[in-house]
Amino acid sequence: MSADPLNANPTILSASDLPTRRRRPSSHTNIGAFSAVFSKGINVSSPSSDPFATSPISLSDSDSEDDAIIDRIDEQEIYDLISSISDPEHPLSLGELAVVNLPDIDVRDAPTAPFSTVLVQITPTITHCSLATVIGLGVRVRLEQALPPRFRVDVRIKEGTHSTADQVNKQLNDKERVAAALENGTLMGVLNKMLETCR
Amino acid sequence: MSDAQRFLLTIDGDQQEAAKVAEGSAKRIENKDLKLVELVQSLREFLTDDDATVRAKAIAYITAVLTALSPTTLTRQQIVVIRQFLCDRVEDESGLKEATQGLVALQRMSRFSGEDAVAIATTLFTGAHDLQRHPQGTRFVVLKLLDAIMSDQRDALKGMRGDFVVGVTDLVIGEKDPRNLMIVFSVLRVVIVEWDIVKYTETLFDAVFCYFPITFKPPPGDTYGITAQDLKARLRDCIAASHHFAGHAFPALIDKLDSTSPSVKKDVLQTIAACASNYGPTTISVHSTQLWDSLKFEVFNAQDEDLATETLIGIRAIAVKLSFGLTSAAPQSPLARFLRPITTECNERLREPQQKQARPAGQVLGSLATASPVAFASTIKAVMAPLLTLYQDADGIGKQRALLEVLGQLFESALTVYGLWCSMEGYPIENNPLDAFRDKLFEIFCQALMGTAKEETSFRIVALRGLLRLTKLRRFLADNEIGMVVQYFDEIILEEGLDGRVDLREEAVQALLGISKIKSSLIMDITIPAFMAKLPDSDIDGAINYVSTLEGLAKLGVEREIFEVLMRRLLNKLDVVLQNNSSPAYPKAILSTLHYVLSLRLLEDDPNLQVYYERLVSGLIRKATHPLQGIGNTTALNDEGVLEVMGRLANLIVRSLDAGRQESMVSEIFNLYGSPQEDPLNSLAADASLEQKRTVILSSYLLAGIRREISLPWSESPFLENLMYIASHENAASLRLAILRMISLLVNKWPVYDQSGPADVLKKLTGPENSPEDLTNGGLRVLFWLNKALLLRTSPTSTDYTSFLLDYLKDSKHGRQTARAFAILLADDELLSKSNYAVIRLLHKQRLFTYCLPKIADGFQAASAAVKPNYLVALSNILRHVPSVAITPSLDTLLPLLLQSLDLDDPDVKAATIDTLSVTVSESPQAIASHVSSVIARLLRAANISTGGNPPRVRQSALHCLRLLPGAIKNETLLPFKQQVIRSLIIALDDPKRHVRKEAVDCRARWLRMDEPDED
Repeated sequence: MSADPLNANPTILSASDLPTRRRRPSSHTNIGAFSAVFSKGINVSSPSSDPFATSPISLSDSDSEDDAIIDRIDEQEIYDLISSISDPEHPLSLGELAVVNLPDIDVRDAPTAPFSTVLVQITPTITHCSLATVIGLGVRVRLEQALPPRFRVDVRIKEGTHSTADQVNKQLNDKERVAAALENGTLMGVLNKMLETCR
Repeated sequence: MSDAQRFLLTIDGDQQEAAKVAEGSAKRIENKDLKLVELVQSLREFLTDDDATVRAKAIAYITAVLTALSPTTLTRQQIVVIRQFLCDRVEDESGLKEATQGLVALQRMSRFSGEDAVAIATTLFTGAHDLQRHPQGTRFVVLKLLDAIMSDQRDALKGMRGDFVVGVTDLVIGEKDPRNLMIVFSVLRVVIVEWDIVKYTETLFDAVFCYFPITFKPPPGDTYGITAQDLKARLRDCIAASHHFAGHAFPALIDKLDSTSPSVKKDVLQTIAACASNYGPTTISVHSTQLWDSLKFEVFNAQDEDLATETLIGIRAIAVKLSFGLTSAAPQSPLARFLRPITTECNERLREPQQKQARPAGQVLGSLATASPVAFASTIKAVMAPLLTLYQDADGIGKQRALLEVLGQLFESALTVYGLWCSMEGYPIENNPLDAFRDKLFEIFCQALMGTAKEETSFRIVALRGLLRLTKLRRFLADNEIGMVVQYFDEIILEEGLDGRVDLREEAVQALLGISKIKSSLIMDITIPAFMAKLPDSDIDGAINYVSTLEGLAKLGVEREIFEVLMRRLLNKLDVVLQNNSSPAYPKAILSTLHYVLSLRLLEDDPNLQVYYERLVSGLIRKATHPLQGIGNTTALNDEGVLEVMGRLANLIVRSLDAGRQESMVSEIFNLYGSPQEDPLNSLAADASLEQKRTVILSSYLLAGIRREISLPWSESPFLENLMYIASHENAASLRLAILRMISLLVNKWPVYDQSGPADVLKKLTGPENSPEDLTNGGLRVLFWLNKALLLRTSPTSTDYTSFLLDYLKDSKHGRQTARAFAILLADDELLSKSNYAVIRLLHKQRLFTYCLPKIADGFQAASAAVKPNYLVALSNILRHVPSVAITPSLDTLLPLLLQSLDLDDPDVKAATIDTLSVTVSESPQAIASHVSSVIARLLRAANISTGGNPPRVRQSALHCLRLLPGAIKNETLLPFKQQVIRSLIIALDDPKRHVRKEAVDCRARWLRMDEPDED
């Protein structure tokens, strides 16, 4: 890695302000949010209550255990997959550097159609950032590993944020050039380092 | 044969015998039967032998005799003679080790003098030069000798002045062995500190610094226990030992800061900090600017949080040193000269507060400000006004937030320097420079907390934390201002609790808790009344907001004075609520609040325990039981759930009473149920009302709290038998559980209620004329709860029960239920616990497991297909409670059963099995390795939604377990499955449940990364 970063002092967003899937107030608000104090007091029927009951221990009454309720793959989920990728030159995540932003992600999830699509537009920290291609490639690799194959992944530079955006876009979406890039050991090393921090 | 000859003959074969010979000689010298000179003379022929090993052995004999001698035996003259003799031998290279050992033994003699030490040192410096040619063990003894004479005869050695410095440096040069280096570093440190080294600074510095940085790694299986850390610390002490080194050390250290290795960097930074703390202020002032210029790069471009922290510690250490003796920061003081460029630079970087380097700038200011009151004042003076201007002009909440964080950091420094309100330390002489900005700061933070859009949670949290620090800061805010802050926090908790801003609310609660420790009167006067006023008199209109208010009260009530007030007011509120016909949920919440607070306190030593007992135990029980005796109407207190909470509360207090109090309580309390002399079973009589029956819930909690040494007033056997009979026929689950628990408590805690055996009990339960097949589920339950009680105290009868119950697994009628009921045995029970004086032996879980496993394995083999699953279900119900160390030895028997369990349809069994597998993978992966193919195939099947019978949590834990395999098991073993796993996981990537997909993504990433070479 070169000694002097291209952009030594980028603007960063506070981690607590990044978009997250906030737990929405659940349907049973009355005790919903109150964990510590009343969890024991209010759920009186005790743990091992009675293993004889016919439907043994009801799995859980929450939505997260009901397969009939389907969680669609949405923008936030894509954001969560890629925002924790590290920047190749700062110990910061792409989310904190605002390289990936929730409004710049577009998901068309259509389980019945032959294809669904994801479009991610990335914003390099400076307009001449030579690492934009590497970052784009990182995002692409991450999504291809993490999404079911029915998704078509499109990663591009957000319009007007980079001096050679067209070139970069061409590289990022040319199958053969991507494949060739992934054969390159040094580049793969950098990519793996970036993806290591994915949560 | 002389002693000498005997010693030489035995030394190679029998060291103990040789030592005995030497001790004998020493005794004779002490008794004056033998002269030391004669002894040496008797060795003459060996000392001149051509064979070097014979000469060495002869010396070893002298050493052994010297070691055995009492320190007072030798005269001054004898010591001189022996010393000269041994020093001469030092020159004989092959005997260096033995001669040195002799000198080590000699120097502990009481008449050993400084003159001898000097002579030895001189001999070592001239005779043992080129020490590195000798083996490590020899060098070690030489260094030991040096260390020993330095600690006992230091003054004489100091008389050698420069000769000693040069001699030591030459002697140790080139040493590489870590064991020897530990001594070398401590020897050198003494020289550096105590000798006049001005003329030899460079030589000494080179001798020390050539070891920096230490990159030593202990070899595998190292038995000496010396770590790189030990060496680093000792070397650091040497480098930091004298300010004369400063001119060499700082440039060299700064140079090494360019290293790419984080551990070297860390070492450098810690060494700089150590030097800054040990060298004098004058020395540091010469280098401070140069240091800042290098260190700042490490903060502003830090790749690693840890290194940034080390750097801040170093910068602070410089400021601490420069503050030494200062009472005010004159502009020309070294401290002011050091701080000026730093504050200027930080101010500059803070102009764009959202950029990456602003945060480290804030951290630099924050840590400088903690260095001393003077440093704090200078920093505040330089940065506060510009920060406030920046805040005023900031466009956008992101910038404001970053600036508030910097201010908050400075408040934290103020707390370090000026202390909390309750601090006992003296207040610094200088006034707090923040006073000048007090009104402005208070206004900004209040405005940020209460005057911004409510949803800006993270911004408001920063403001809240800042305000909290200001309220805690000693002699800063006035009480009415703190009162205002308390009101703001109250408002946040009471008004904003329900719409999702849980984080902010929780912070506010914690903040009030913090304030209650320093200004509890404000909480009692402002917060408690405000909260109480919020509580409705009834929830008939569907109000539920009382829950959040009560939760706030629960968390704030921990301080004792506050709890007194809280208890009184909540009990009054409870009366009102009951009169207004509230639903049971409200009284339940009020009682839970009291329970929560009490559960956080140590009740045994609480002087008010008696008051709690009267009000919260007898008082409440009276309220609940009076209606049953015809006094007043039943209320929500007679609800099952409320009784449960009431019982829990009573239990907490009752178990804290001492034996004496409990004795009188037992009769008193159970009498509350009805007419005196009655036992609690009357409430369970067939014709009793439902409300009456429910009091058994209370009884179970009270019984649980009673100590074992208290004797119970009920006749043993009919009482227990009645209970068992009622339990087996009771249909209401909560009442039945209460009775079963009582049975268990009695049998576990009071051996007089011990049982004869399962067959007898069975007879009593089914009636004498019936056969075991007529056992009902109710009866089965009783047997299990009885066994639970016996098992916990590892009673021998327990094995009879267990084997009896295992037999039922093959029963086509009861097998299924029996298998499920095994969950009862080891599950933690709230009442049957150590804090309730239950007898719980350490190894009971292991015992049950080792007893059952072979029986289950055999039973499974022999069983018909229809009942086979019962064995696996029972196993999984035991396994999930057994610590993994106990499982490991039985894995060979266990694994095949576990794999079969994964083929069952029961999701609970599957989930439990996967949990066991996960633990096994982490703790004894080698056991899994031989089954890896079937483990992977089954986990993949369990992770797949289309296989059916896999609810989300099963799929999720299967994926989790699968993720643990790479890393735990050798890559060679896993590689053949890699493609299969990665391909199969594609299905899980499209799982309908988000949390399952997340697990699938992580799992797949782990397998994809599997064969990459490791970083280090």
